[in-house]
This record gives sequence, C-alpha cells and structure tokens, in this order.
Amino acid sequence: MDKQQEENISSSPGRSGGGGGGGAKREDAAATGSGIRAGPPCPTFVGKHRMAAAISHLHTQINIIQEELNELETVGESSFVCKELVASIESVSDPLLPWSKGAPEAGWDRWFRGAHNTRNNNRWI
Amino acid sequence: MSVAELKERHAAASETVNSLRERLKQKRASLLDTDVAGYARSQGKAALTFGPTDLVCCRTLQGHTGKVYSLDWTPERNRIVSASQDGRLIVWNALTSQKTHAIKLPCAWVMTCAFSPTGQSVACGGLDSVCSIFNLSSPCDKDGNLPVSRTLNGHKGYVSACQYVPDEDTHLITGSGDQTCVLWDITTGLRTSVFGGEFQSGHTADVLSVSICQTNSRMFVSGSCDATTRLWDTRVASRAVRTFHGHEGDVNAVKFFPDGNRFGTGSDDGTCRLFDIRTGHQLQVYHQQHGDNESPPVKTIAFSISGRLLFAGYTNGDCYVWDTLLARVVLNLGSLQNSHEAQISCLGLSADGSALCTGSWDTNLKIWAFGGHRKII
Repeated sequence: MDKQQEENISSSPGRSGGGGGGGAKREDAAATGSGIRAGPPCPTFVGKHRMAAAISHLHTQINIIQEELNELETVGESSFVCKELVASIESVSDPLLPWSKGAPEAGWDRWFRGAHNTRNNNRWI
Repeated sequence: MSVAELKERHAAASETVNSLRERLKQKRASLLDTDVAGYARSQGKAALTFGPTDLVCCRTLQGHTGKVYSLDWTPERNRIVSASQDGRLIVWNALTSQKTHAIKLPCAWVMTCAFSPTGQSVACGGLDSVCSIFNLSSPCDKDGNLPVSRTLNGHKGYVSACQYVPDEDTHLITGSGDQTCVLWDITTGLRTSVFGGEFQSGHTADVLSVSICQTNSRMFVSGSCDATTRLWDTRVASRAVRTFHGHEGDVNAVKFFPDGNRFGTGSDDGTCRLFDIRTGHQLQVYHQQHGDNESPPVKTIAFSISGRLLFAGYTNGDCYVWDTLLARVVLNLGSLQNSHEAQISCLGLSADGSALCTGSWDTNLKIWAFGGHRKII
C-alpha cells in the first residue's frame, strides 16, 4: 500500500487508532494499561468502569503468561524443532529448486510450453 | 471501590505482567540452543545456489492501470485474481496470460483479494470496511459489471486481509484495522466468530494479515501493528492460542509454512522470522545487513512448496529469495533482468508450487518458474 492510501486509512473517520495513526501502535500499551485509553480525566462512573475492565484485562494477561510459563517446563529445546523442520523440508519435492527427488512431474514445466499470444499483453481495460 | 484503590490495583497488575513477561523472555531464551541455520550447518547441509537463469520470468500479466496490491491463486493451479489501485479485480489464466474477468469494484480502495477453493467466486476487502464476494458465473449487469453477490458487513475498520477457509467456499476469514479477525459464513453473510476486540485477549492494534493453516483449517495466524503475531483456533474466539513476540515493528505479512507446524512473518523492522506453533520458539531471523544500517520493511512473503525457499518483498524494490535452512539470500528477484520496475507488493505460489506470481506497483504481475537444469537425486 502506498503513502496516499495509508494516509486515507489513518485519516478515515471510524478507523482504529493503530495503523498509520502513530498513536498507541505497540502492544507495550497492554502492559502499561491499554484498557484505560482515552479515559476522562475525572473519576466518573465510566472512568471507573473502564479502569476495572483494564484491571480485569491485565489479570487475563497474567493468567495467559503463567500458563505459557508452565507449558515451557515441558517444551523441548529449539534444536529438536529444527530437526523436525529439516526433515519436513527434505521430504517434499520442490519444483522451484535445482534438484528433484525422482523424476520431475510433467506439469512443472508447463510454464515454458507453447508460444504466448503477445496480443494478450496489451492494456485491456 | 475508590478510584485510588483501582489505580493501585492497576499499577500492581501492570507490574506483575511486566515481570512475568521478562521471566517468559528469559525462559524462552534458555530453550533456544540453536537456530535453524546453526542446526543446518552443524548437520553439514549444503548451501543452495541459483544461476542467473534458474528462476526466470516467463509471463508478464498486463492489464491493471494502477498499483497491484494483492493476488491469490486458485487451488486448481492456473488462475489468479489480482486487486489494484485502479479499483478493479482481474481474474487471469496465468498459463495463457488471458484475462477472464475484470471486475469494477463499488469501492475502488481495495487492499486484499482471495480466490475461493472451488474457483467459483472471489472476495475482496479494503477501506470500505466490508468484504465483497463476487460469483464469477453471475451474469453481468446492464453496465457490463459483475454484481456483488454478497457483502460481509461488520468490521469497524478497513479490511486488510481475507482468505477462504480451505475446502469451503462458504467460510472466509478477514483481518481488519479494527484490531479483530472475523470468521464469516458467506451463505448467511453473518459473523460466525470474532477474534479479539476490546478487553479480549486479542491484538491491540490493526490486523494487517492473516494466514490459514492448510493442514488444519481450524487454525490461523494474524499479524498486526502491535508487533505480534497471534495463533487462533476458530473454535475458541475468546482468546488467542498463543502470542508470538520478537518483531520490533508492524507485522505486515504472515504465512503458514507448508507443513502447517510453523509460520513465517515479515515486518517493518526489516526482518522475516520463522516461528514454531507448538513450542512458540522463534526458530530463525532472516535479516540482510545493509550498509546504512537501515533495513527496508518487508511487505509480503511466501514459501516454496517444500519450505526451502522464502520469498520476501521489501519496500526498496528488492525481492529476496532466502534459503530457509542456511538463512542466506540466494537470489534477488528485484534485480533480475525482466523484473518489475517498482516495489513488489504481493507474492503467491501456485498450488503445485511450480510457479511464483509477483504483483507490483509497476501495475504488472509476473510469473516466475524454474527454467534451469534440474538434478535428479
């Protein structure tokens, strides 16, 4: 997307504040109180309500991170996953690579068969 | 409860979140005993080399009059839909270079498009905040335009990404500037599930891309301006299965690895990364040093069918072909003869993996295939 369109996004009414807005784009906001954004300066009922919701959101975050920490106790090291990855890559014949496991499939080279009608390359719309 | 008490609780909870995040980061770092490149080198994996004529541009699809923003292939191998700044979708037969449909959009500000699994319809989304479905076999209206067959309304921000659920013409997932992703039932036009949103455990900034797992279509990932990628299970909309940190900029592109167990990302921080969905490990960072220390943002990525190659389009016009195992750039499509004259904005592999399509701001799409000598092993 080019600048012109990005500007349209960030300036369009009703768009979220993230995208090109330059405001609270990053998730760091979650740790420092994302839920309270744009709250009124005085402690109105709505302000308190928002703050309570933000606290509840942070507690959800705490539970999620705790769960992930517990999960990591049983997760192996990355070398194990790298081994899996290499096996996965090497098990598949890839038409874009300079080698093939067994004979290449007939359809792989269809892009080089036949002459192309150059008339179709003209501007059409 | 008083405001002061609430503030106190909020501060305490924030502190706990920050300290737990730090612990999580340290624990993860302790489990990263190697990255993919280190492991591949230790196993003596041979480097991949490409000659200048191995990957060649064999078609140029001309027809758009504006920048190409998005493209998608049909599962039946040869057709492509593209979306452009000119306010049109074009359906191409990539094999013959012929256009089968040119669809003038009611809202010209299109950002994304997708082909349905059966190839009978296409979808698009953009700044109008809706996802429009076009049935390719519908008759044209009196002005010769293909009518919208279904409009999916509900997002409160632009629709940045859309993808059909594999093997289902009736379901589609969108990502939006309203920070959410939505699973749609196209038959009814209703939202089946909303992923994220206020006070849910979702993205905290615009969603820029989505990718559905081809081996388990219940799982999908979303990349966002909050610099994270999230893994979702369509059966559990209330929270993400996992959040992947690491990038230091907007995550512009996400793509599942072909085996469905990992995914790749491309970001404004100039890096591509590979994450494992089961363990959450960041397996590799793909980053090319530039002399001026400024790395151009990555806007689009795609994997070859085995996953050995990662194609990444950068804002400076480069399109690196990464060897995913050794984390080295083996080719720059942006600098080859017959390449695009402007930034490559979208990438996609044909279903059988035999061709790569690139879409560019130069208004063209190009088809690339392997034209060199293939060694049989």
